[in-house]
Amino acid sequence: MKTTGLQLKRVSKSFAKLPQGQLPVLSPIDLKISPGEFVTLVGKSGCGKSTLLRLIAGLESPSGGSILLDGQPLAGPSLSRGMVFQEPRLFPWMTAEQNVAFGCPKSFSPPEVADTVHRHLKLVGLTGFEKSYPHQLSGGMQQRAAIARALVGRPQVLLLDEPLGALDALTRIQMQKEILRIWQAEKMTMLLVTHDIDEAVYLGDRVLVMGPRPGSLEKIVPVKWARPRDRNSAGFAKIRREIQAEFF
Amino acid sequence: MAIVVQPQQAPKADSLSFFKKLSEKPDRFFAWGFPLVVPVLLLFLWQTACDRGWFQSSYLPSPRVIGATLVSMVQSGELWENLRVSLVRVFEGFALGAGAGTFLGLAMGLFPRLEKALSLLTGLLRPIPTIAWVPALILWMGIGEGSKVTVIAVGSFWPVLLSASQGVQSVNVHYLEVARVLEKDRFTLLTRVILPSALPSLFTGYRVGMGIAWASVVGAELIAASSGIGYLIMYAREVSQPDVMLVGVAAIGLTGLLIDFVLLHLERRLLKWNQ
Repeated sequence: MKTTGLQLKRVSKSFAKLPQGQLPVLSPIDLKISPGEFVTLVGKSGCGKSTLLRLIAGLESPSGGSILLDGQPLAGPSLSRGMVFQEPRLFPWMTAEQNVAFGCPKSFSPPEVADTVHRHLKLVGLTGFEKSYPHQLSGGMQQRAAIARALVGRPQVLLLDEPLGALDALTRIQMQKEILRIWQAEKMTMLLVTHDIDEAVYLGDRVLVMGPRPGSLEKIVPVKWARPRDRNSAGFAKIRREIQAEFF
Repeated sequence: MAIVVQPQQAPKADSLSFFKKLSEKPDRFFAWGFPLVVPVLLLFLWQTACDRGWFQSSYLPSPRVIGATLVSMVQSGELWENLRVSLVRVFEGFALGAGAGTFLGLAMGLFPRLEKALSLLTGLLRPIPTIAWVPALILWMGIGEGSKVTVIAVGSFWPVLLSASQGVQSVNVHYLEVARVLEKDRFTLLTRVILPSALPSLFTGYRVGMGIAWASVVGAELIAASSGIGYLIMYAREVSQPDVMLVGVAAIGLTGLLIDFVLLHLERRLLKWNQ
């Protein structure tokens, strides 16, 4: 049987640091993520969680081990893995519509691009802002456009690197709901990095807890409840405490 | 019938809030009229000084005399004819210099090896004032239009070269990563990410380059010219016509201002996104 989903085999990463030599950032990590799963990754800043995401995106190459998608080893970035960064990274010279269209693969015909962009702007709730430039949009709206741009290429895996980190608390909760809705609509694998334990428990099927540098997976906490989840329930508090115990 | 006299409420002399109000509400007067205040005041002082005979008119004619000369030179077509000749030289020189500067500057920004290879040469040539090239250009190219246009081209080349290369080099790495993740080819990367991102810097280079091109027109017309605004100024000095001389100087300033105004508005229009 062919293995499906994302698989990390003994993936490690160190950066060259002179004069001491190598600076290990990630200890060897083994991980399997099934198709359609929502996995969240929490850790303190500097623990290497963003590096892990960049390895999967193909923006960095691992120092050891290998990363497989549906059994195939990865080589460099590709449309099979979409990425949403902490900053929206929209091009200021393009309108919202043009930014999202930039995510479309070359093979799309112009009507296909127009249709896809229209549908995805609707999906992220930006209908009516097609012609707006990034500086005319709020931070939350910019991040929605960035999510739409990552989605139009129909990636199998969507990687989200603290996508809500720069938003205020209320917009954040709103956007968490939006991300869940998009995940349920698109039925894709999502791997979201965050430093917010509540966010990780609210969203993930599994919460991976990463230890300090060199980062390794300290704990994997499955969260089996149906969504939407109640942040104030006793069970939620119990899992929150369990994860907090890893850090303090 | 009693007449009730309302005591006039004196406005509070709060000078700070007055200026705040002015800067908050950029109304028509503030945008267009306010910058005129200082020049008009200076002209008035100048005129007064001339009327009282503080300056000799053969050294410094009064604004009124210069104005009258300006009107007669506009009417005779003399001013426009010289201005037109100079403008053609400037536009030709600028097109050459800015074109070459854009091309080489973008290439230097894109290929660090090329920049390294040329860094010593450009560092050496750039500080040379354009006017220092005039004798050499006369020797090589003669005294025709070619050498005049070349002087202007050299002047506008440097700022455009620098701003084009800077513009490419300062592309945000974050944007490049987005393009990589979306599997964009090199051509798309260049045309849709790198070039648009370099445009604001490039436009600044064009404005500076155009300013230098226009400013070096007088130097260019030192080369045996028989027409042009620089020639007009030189000739007026020889025949002791300070009013004509100053009309020429003023015409250079006004035309320069107008060109920069047009370029600035072109930039605002083309780069609407750059707020």
